[in-house]
Formats: sequence, C-alpha cells, structure tokens
Amino acid sequence: MNSFALFSVVMLYLALLFFVAYLAERKKSKLWINNPYIYALSLAVYCTAWTYYGSIGVAATSGLSYLTVYIGPIIVIPAWIYINTRIVRISRINKISSLADFISLRYGNSRSLSAIITLVCLFAIIPYIGLQIKAISETFHLVTETPVSKNILTDTATFVVVLIAVFASYYGTRYVDASEKRLGIVSAIALESFLKLFFIIVLGVFVIYFAFDGFSDIYNKASRFSDFKAKNTFNGLEGALNWMILCMISGTAICLLPRQFHTAIIENRQEKHIKTAIWFFPLYLLIFTLFIFPIAWAGRVIFNGQQVNPEFYSILIPQYFNNTAVTVLVFLGGLSSSISMIIISAITLSIMLSNNMIIPYGLLGKFKAENEANNTRTITRIRKFSIFGLIIMAFAFYKYFILKTSLDSVGLISFVIIAQLAPAYFGAIFWRRGSFKGVLTGLIAGLVICYFGLIIPQYYFSYNQEFKGILRNMYDAFGFFDIPYLGRIPEIFFWSLLINTGLFAGISVSTKGNYRERNFAELYVDIDKYIQNHENAFIWRGTAYVSDIRNILVRFLGQKKTEQAMRIFNLKYNIDSETETADSRFIKFSENLLAGRIGTASAKILIEGVTKEDKISLKEVLNILEESKENITLNKKLTEQSRELKKLSDDLTHANESLIIKDRQKDDFLDSVAHELRTPITAIRSAGEILADDDDIPLEIKKEFLNNIITESDRLSEIINDILYLDKLEHGEIALNLTRNNILETYKKALNPLLHLIQQKKIHISKVNLLNHSIFEYDEARMIQLFQNILGNALKFTDEQGTIQARFFHREQELVISIFNTGKRIPEEDLELIFNKFYQSKNQNLLKQAGSGLGLAICKKIIHNHGGEITAENSGPGVTFTLTLPVRP
Amino acid sequence: MKKRHEQKLILLSIGLIIAFSIPVSLLFNSEQEILGYPLLLVYLFAVWTASVIIAFVIVKRYE
Repeated sequence: MNSFALFSVVMLYLALLFFVAYLAERKKSKLWINNPYIYALSLAVYCTAWTYYGSIGVAATSGLSYLTVYIGPIIVIPAWIYINTRIVRISRINKISSLADFISLRYGNSRSLSAIITLVCLFAIIPYIGLQIKAISETFHLVTETPVSKNILTDTATFVVVLIAVFASYYGTRYVDASEKRLGIVSAIALESFLKLFFIIVLGVFVIYFAFDGFSDIYNKASRFSDFKAKNTFNGLEGALNWMILCMISGTAICLLPRQFHTAIIENRQEKHIKTAIWFFPLYLLIFTLFIFPIAWAGRVIFNGQQVNPEFYSILIPQYFNNTAVTVLVFLGGLSSSISMIIISAITLSIMLSNNMIIPYGLLGKFKAENEANNTRTITRIRKFSIFGLIIMAFAFYKYFILKTSLDSVGLISFVIIAQLAPAYFGAIFWRRGSFKGVLTGLIAGLVICYFGLIIPQYYFSYNQEFKGILRNMYDAFGFFDIPYLGRIPEIFFWSLLINTGLFAGISVSTKGNYRERNFAELYVDIDKYIQNHENAFIWRGTAYVSDIRNILVRFLGQKKTEQAMRIFNLKYNIDSETETADSRFIKFSENLLAGRIGTASAKILIEGVTKEDKISLKEVLNILEESKENITLNKKLTEQSRELKKLSDDLTHANESLIIKDRQKDDFLDSVAHELRTPITAIRSAGEILADDDDIPLEIKKEFLNNIITESDRLSEIINDILYLDKLEHGEIALNLTRNNILETYKKALNPLLHLIQQKKIHISKVNLLNHSIFEYDEARMIQLFQNILGNALKFTDEQGTIQARFFHREQELVISIFNTGKRIPEEDLELIFNKFYQSKNQNLLKQAGSGLGLAICKKIIHNHGGEITAENSGPGVTFTLTLPVRP
Repeated sequence: MKKRHEQKLILLSIGLIIAFSIPVSLLFNSEQEILGYPLLLVYLFAVWTASVIIAFVIVKRYE
C-alpha cells in the first residue's frame, strides 16, 4: 500500500480519537460516558502491541507461554473487589494522582521514596513505550512495503509519533489537578480497546475461514509439524514452573503497571464500576487470546521455511493473500493498542515526573512567590513538556537500543522491574508494620539484582555480544545462584522479589517506625473505618494559623476556590469561620487540596513551611488512633442503640394510640349496645304499659302489641346471642367441625333464605365459578353464617336494581371467594376497621343500620379460625369483600 | 455488596491460583486430545471461561 495513503488513514484515525475525546469532555454527565463498560474497556490498555504482535510471535516460537501474560491477570482480577476497592477509596480521600504518590504517602509521605518510585517507573516504562513505537514504525513499513528509513526526519513513523505526543499532551493536561478524571482520554482509550478487539476478531475470522478451511484445517496442517505437540504442552515440570512464575509476573503487573494503576484507580469514577470490570475484563482477554493460537499456527503453516518475523504474522498473512483491507485494519488495531498504551503511560509518567520529582525538588521555592495563574501555567507546562519529552525519549530509545530485540523480552523486563514495587504496594494495604526503611532497602536491592541480571545482559548484548574482563569475573562469581531449570526472567524475578520482600519484612520488624508513617499505615489498612471522616484520622500537633495556610492555598487555587473550599470545610466540621488557629483536620484538608496539583510530598513540604509541628511519639499516635477508632465504634454503637430506642418508643406510641382507639371503640360500642338493647326494651315496655293500663283495647290491637313484644324480644335475644357467640369464638370455645363439602352448595344454602328479600329489592344476583373442583374442607354451618352475614350486609347497602356478584377461583394454594355489591362505598380509612368488633363507623349513618356492628367481626373470626383472611376494598361502583381459605391437601 | 459476597470473589481468585498451579495443571499436561484439541489448552481455556461465568453470576446476583 502507498505510504501516503496509509499515512492519510492514520491521520483520519487520529482525528476520530480527537473527536471522541472532545465529545466526551463536553458531555461529561451523559449516560454513555458514565457507564461501567467504558471503565472496563479502558483497562484493556493492558493489551498493547505486545499482545497484538508479540504474543503471536511467542505462540509460534515457544508455544503456551504466550498465555501467561493473560492468565496472571485473570487470577488476580476477582480479588480486585477487595484490593482495588480499598485503593480507590484511599486514593480518593487523599487526592492521590499516581502510583508514586500512593506508595510514598503510606510510608510517611516521603519525597525521596516518591522520587525513587518515579525513577523505577521511568526506567521500566520508557523502553516499553519505545517498544510500542517500534511496533508502529515497523508495521507501517511492513504495510507500505518500504524499508525503515535511517534518517529520522524522512521517516513517516516519526510524524505519527509526534502526532500522538501532541494528542497526549493536549488532552492529558486539561486539568491542573492530576487527580481529576480525564473523561476525554478515557473515552478515546475505551473506543480504541473496542476497535482493537474488533479488528483482531476480523483477522481471526479471515485467517480461519478465508485463508483456511475452518479451524480444524489449520489444526490438521499444523499438527504435522514435529514440534506441534510439544508446543501445546508444558515442557515437563520445568516448563510448568517457568510458566507459573511468568503468570505471577503478569499478575503483579496488572495491578502495578503505572498505566493500569492510572486507568483502574485514578480514572475510576464509581466504586461499583470495579464490579463490572471483574467479569468483563477477563472476558475481553479471553476473546482476544482465543484468536492468537490459530493465527500463530496459520502463520507457521503459510510461511514454513521462510525467514519472516513471526511477531508480524498478523500483518503478513492478509498481505500474503493480497487483502489490503484486512491488512490495514490489523495495522490500525496494532496502532490503537500502541497509541493507548503510549498516551496513558506518558500521562501518568508525566504526572509522576512533575509531582514527585521536578516540583518537590526544584520548583517549590518559585511557586511560593508566584500567583495562581502563573503557578497553574507552570504546572501544566511541565506536564506537557514531560509528556512530549517522554515520548521523544522513548523514540530515541527505540532507535538506538531496541531495534533488534523482540517485543516479548523488553515487555517482560519492564514487568519484572515494576514488580519490585509489589512488596511496598501490597504491604501498604495489608500490613501496618511495614516501614519506610524496609521498603527503601528492599526496593534498591531488588533493582540492583534486576539491573545486573536483566538490563545489563539485555542491552549489553545488543552491542558487545560477550562480557569481557572484570564484568565476566563478576558474573562468574554469581554463577552459584543460577537456577538451571528456570529461564533468565523467571529466575531474576524469583531472586529479586525474594531479597526485596525479605529485606522489607526483616527491616520493618526490626526497626522502630516513624509516627507519621504509622499514622498513614492505620489510615490505609483501616480505610473502611476512616472513610467518612478521614481528616480526623490525621494526627498533627503544633501551632498553625489559618491565614498562613490560606496564603499558600491562594497561590495554587486562586482566591475564589480557596474561599469556597474553606467554607465547605467549616461547614463540614462545624467550625467558626473566624477561628485563627488551624487544627490537624485543616492541615490535612489543605494538603489534600494541594496534593492533586503538586503531589502529596510537595504539599506536605509547603504546609510544613508555614506551620510549626511539635514532636509526637509513636506511642502517643497509636493511643490517639486507638481512641479515635474506639470513638468511631462507640459512635456507631450509640447510633445503633438510639435507633433501637427510637424504634421501641415508636412502637409504644403506636400501641398506645391503638389502645386509645380501642378504648374509645369499646365505649362507643357499649353506648351502641345499650342503645340497641334499649330500643327493643322501650318498645316492649311501652306495649306492655298500654296493655296493662287499658283494658278496652280491641282484641286485634292487643294481638298486634303482643306480637310486637315477641319480635322485639327476639331481636333482643339475637343481639345478646351475637355478643355471646363472638365471645365464644374469640376464646376458642367453639370447635370447628371440619368436613369436606361443596363450597358452591354451601353458598347456595346460605343464599336461599335471602332470595325473597333479593327479589323484593329487584337485585340482580350472579355467580362466577372458575374452580376446577369445588370440594373443600371447612365447617359448613359457620361458612353459611359467614356468607349470610356478608350477603345480608351487602343487601342492606345495595340500592334497588343493583347487583351482587360472587366469584370463586384458585390462587396458588388458596381458594378465593370475592363478593361484590354495588352501592355505597366504605370510606378508605375505614376499610380495615370495619372488621373490628367494636367498630362503628364515624359516619354513623352508614353503618347504623348494620345493627350491633358484630356481623363482620364474626365473619373475621370464623375465617381466621379456618386459617384464612378477609379483606374489603372499594372497587368500581361498589364494595368487594374477598375471602381466602387455604386449601388443605 | 455484602462482605460475604465479596469473599466469594476472593475465593474465586484462590481457586484460580490452585487451578493454574503446578500440581493441578500438570495433571492435564499430556499429548492427549479432547474433541480434537490439545488437552492442556482445552483445560486452561475451560477454567478461564468458567471463572468469567462465576464472576458474572456473583456480581449480577448480589448487586
């Protein structure tokens, strides 16, 4: 393909990235930006050109070990729910903006440690960036079929690199606070992650189904190679051991690589996004790696016996079949993976370089004299130049050092160097006792071993081929430590981490810790306890004035933001804004405000400059922390207790209220019973009086009076019976006579005596039966009584020509009978109360005619004794009573 | 997510360490083929797939 055409494609592609980044920056709050999949995809910055090209080379030349780079991460990733959640919390409350900040803050916020960590990252990552540039450059020339130009200025790859550097320095330094989230960059990276996966799927499908006749075709042809079987098994115990150690290397790398730390921790917007990443990211890696195996073996089959670099099979195969489209797509996929790695690495390294080296060691004095606008400009400018410088440095590194070496070896060396930070990193969140001295000694020892074991041989060999003289003797002297069955990289990983961890642990337990260190140790390990009021956990004693600190803040944040921040602080801790002396909380708060801009160590140094700290012993610190921890737990307990008490008092109030209501209902009921009883008695009495007084009453009238006396007596005894009956029901004196009966028959029996009344009122009565069978177990006599009470009630309230409808159906394990009648509705607030035995509606007109008000109470008792439930509801133009009866098996 | 469910994911991590560690993974280190594919490769990818599914189920169920 024409060089110019490909360059235009690259330009278009970069323009797309700029556009996505721009769009995302502008629409921050939009849902599509703020979703967990963007976060999970941005983690795939892990898959660099190494994955795209290098892994295929490894799979073709040394078999299964290509998988180690991905197996390690998938082992660790589920544990992120614990590890990363805490690191995200720690980083959020301390405004941590890089790996160097995170580790050095824990070990006493030390400027020197953060500088050393920055150096380690630079040494490990710059060659790694160089590697990406190498991949871009070489594949560019491979696709265009041009030779790699010796002259940097005429090499097209140079321009691509410069463009990437511009993009990264523009979008990576939008915010002066480095702990801010860079939505633009992250969205662009997520898009790239998606594209590179998509392109490798395209390539995989092309290789499997177009170049070959399905997967089994590749497999059959490849299995003719004599080394095929050996490549798909471990080389015995020895191979398995190497394989496992390589998995461990990549497992630490996924947590510790600066670009992974940046995307996983600094750019994490919500803790819950980690949960999605826990399953999504391994899935992403799985799909990616599934295609590596067939592509590698297809390359072996196609280029059998030819001298080609297996790392570039993925470009060479489509090229071999003259498929330009797929070739360009693969090139773009490789370009995406390289670009995203370069951008994120350069950004995070530039933050470390500015916040942990250049500012704390060179510019603090200058900052103290300048105003906010100048300082902000200086800080962003340092970062811009660092990003640009780092990428150019990596470019130079590629041109002069790693032209010949393979992608895989340089990558793994970077991993091992970064792994030296593992004891300090994991120690920070799990071990209180870990100390600065231990970390420093262990780290330096580990680095020395890496330097002599990996870096010197790797880069020395690319020039001089062979050690001579003293160097030779020195290496011979250490020959004793050679582990014959481990490869060079696993071997050095083993020794360096063993010594590193050993020194870290040994020195930490044998020296007395510093109080500041211990303070942060508590905060890191017990982050869950301090998350709410972490400023309280910072222990500081001495004299400090708010105005002095404010002067510093203004130089970095500006007048307006400083005022705003202080207002928030005063509000949070309920502090009077006139207070002149600053306490430990304000000091920590101010350090946090500065930390994102100039790094935690510089923030501490600046604040230290205007305050006077008193010495505090480690013991005191521990006591205070213990106390504050106790306070926190005590607080929690007290809150819990008071919540319980509140609940209890609520319950009591409720009970009291319902007692009052019941009492009133009882009174009302007694009134009503007295009234009800008095009415018939009055009637009987007046009839009796007339009969007694007047002997001349005609026989007819006398008879009528006597009949009245009889009916009224009946009514009287009915009411008394009801009361007694209910009482018996309530005290369980009436045993249920459970027999198997037909519920429809029972209903009919209950309805029959009422038919006359129904016809009189011209009420339409209907029945809907949805039952499969109608035999149930219940007490028939009681059920008849119940139906009659409800129907009687319904009859009273149904207007002439109204409707009463009964429905019978099953619901789960229940028989449901609903009886609906048109007519007056029940006030909503009374729906539950109508079943109370002492209930009389507030609206006396409504239920007055219901008599004693006992009918429904009796219904409720009967149905309860059957283990069922009765409810009333207003539905449509009337009222529905719903009975449920459990079906006995 | 409750602590108990978080611990399930930690357990998954430990399980993966065991599944990929020497004594266990070496059991599958033979030239035998399963469904026409190398046994070891099938084992590694099967464990991988299973871990994705388990993590997905745990995360989704207790969200």
